[in-house]
Amino acid sequence: MAGESGFDTFVDDLPRKWWFKLLANWIVIPFWAWLRPTPPLPGGPRPTPQPSENVQRMMNLVMPLKDKSPLGRAYAAMAVAQNVNEIFAGLDNVGTVHFARFVVIGDNLCMISVYDGDFTNYIRDFIATVGSVFDAIMDLVEGGEAVKPCETKIDAFIDWIHAHDLFQAPDLPTDLFRLQDAARGVERKREPGLLRSLSREYILQLNANPNFSLGGGYRAYPGFSVAQVRQKLGVGW
Amino acid sequence: MTEEEMAKKAVEALDIVPGGDTRRRPVHTNGVGVEGHFVASEAARDYCVAEHFQGGKIKVTARFSNGSGKTALHDGWSDVRGLAVRFHLEQDKQEERAVDLLAMTLTEFFTPTYETFLKFASYTNPEAPVTRQSAWRKLLELLELIQPALPAPYPGQTTSSVAGALRYADEHARSELSIFHAAAIGAPKSYARAAYHAVHTFFAVAPDGTRRAVRFNWVPVSGVLNTGPEDPVVDDYLKSDLQLRIKGKLGIGTDPEPVRFILMMTIGETGDDFDDPSRSWPPHRTRIVMGTLTIDAVASDQDADGERLSFNPWRLVEGLEPSNDPILSLRRNAYEFSRKRRGGVAGCPFSGV
Repeated sequence: MAGESGFDTFVDDLPRKWWFKLLANWIVIPFWAWLRPTPPLPGGPRPTPQPSENVQRMMNLVMPLKDKSPLGRAYAAMAVAQNVNEIFAGLDNVGTVHFARFVVIGDNLCMISVYDGDFTNYIRDFIATVGSVFDAIMDLVEGGEAVKPCETKIDAFIDWIHAHDLFQAPDLPTDLFRLQDAARGVERKREPGLLRSLSREYILQLNANPNFSLGGGYRAYPGFSVAQVRQKLGVGW
Repeated sequence: MTEEEMAKKAVEALDIVPGGDTRRRPVHTNGVGVEGHFVASEAARDYCVAEHFQGGKIKVTARFSNGSGKTALHDGWSDVRGLAVRFHLEQDKQEERAVDLLAMTLTEFFTPTYETFLKFASYTNPEAPVTRQSAWRKLLELLELIQPALPAPYPGQTTSSVAGALRYADEHARSELSIFHAAAIGAPKSYARAAYHAVHTFFAVAPDGTRRAVRFNWVPVSGVLNTGPEDPVVDDYLKSDLQLRIKGKLGIGTDPEPVRFILMMTIGETGDDFDDPSRSWPPHRTRIVMGTLTIDAVASDQDADGERLSFNPWRLVEGLEPSNDPILSLRRNAYEFSRKRRGGVAGCPFSGV
């Protein structure tokens, strides 16, 4: 661009330079994380009284495997595969689950599901219907042994699941300011440069919370529960 | 102060744009008038008794626009775009009957009230001279992990409202979201490849009398696509793009590339602020497909069928009612004041003109 010096071009290209990224990851971000301590924000959808926010809620449960070898991943796959009937029957009985699936991503066993209603009730229903499957899974994941059997350690198990459910970035991006300020227990001063610091707030949260859901997700038919959909389709419930 | 005086003041607050012209629209100054038709979906009539949602082919005139108040055309600059649509209903005796729906690519308006709008306008107008940010400043911003204070100016750009808007956002939390979105909005590849949002709440009345708070938006069938950061910045391409698409000179094969939009109606619920256009609703509200808009032609007389047309969000029919949104109230008279000032036609049905 006209009027740009060589130094301008050099600075503009910095974000693409490997050594600058290294500098940012090892020095700049840790410095800001030290200056502005940022707790990882809690996972899952946030409590809200609004009807459409209480149906088709997303759970992205990421459970780090103890054994990160191919064999460890195979054991995790087997723990799920051996209990497919139990899982499917359990989900039918829960009655508030739109979709659910287990996936192995890297060194994690993940359960991705879409459900209606309150998170705690959802997990309680799970314990009641597929608790034994989760106990088998808990043997294979980091920190899982402390919360089994889930039938007797209900609250600890719910807390563990909540802690491993991905933080969902707000659908309206600037809402992150409010969430992070509340977690830090501070009230933000309105000062020059505040809005431009939103990028730093996201970087700090991603630093504290490497697994991250980008918003609450898309819905083709938002606002309807499993029961409403099945009733409308005439497939019973 | 009367509503008319407030509207006049609001329009005049936008007049200070360098390169503006009071004989034209104060914002969304450059546009393209088009013609087409709208066909309501099967579902639409269950949710709203308004005539254009009952099915059949409804003639439409519309105007795509760039948000800037400058008369010089800069299609390739980052800017909010507009789509104003007039649904022509069957004539009742001699009276022209129509519904207007005004939308823009920003998902929310900058401010919630008249007073805050004037204050916002005072921060952004007159625009500040653009200055190139020093390399040292850019380096400092990188190390602070913050967005650049000022984007690099376009060739020939001498003024910008960005610094004023950011300063306003830093002082006013309710405008953070809109200004954040506006700062990153970019330039569309085509007017046919942008989504347009009518940011105000209306009430849709269903056949059973149910009155629902709703917001409308147009979703492009061709998908949303902006120009890339490495693309050359072109000043004049959006009108010719529409012409080429409609003639079938763009897209796959020789078939015309239809310029189509789906009209979605989002239903608000308890807890949503129906009167605040600066806050968009979360994307999880129930959405109804209300119909499809097809653009058939670029108007041959751009002056009569684009520049002199005056849209007004209060041009409604039975079945659609305005909310108490103060900005929506303001627009009723502001559009009428602007129309009279520039000698536009098709006066507001409430003005007695």
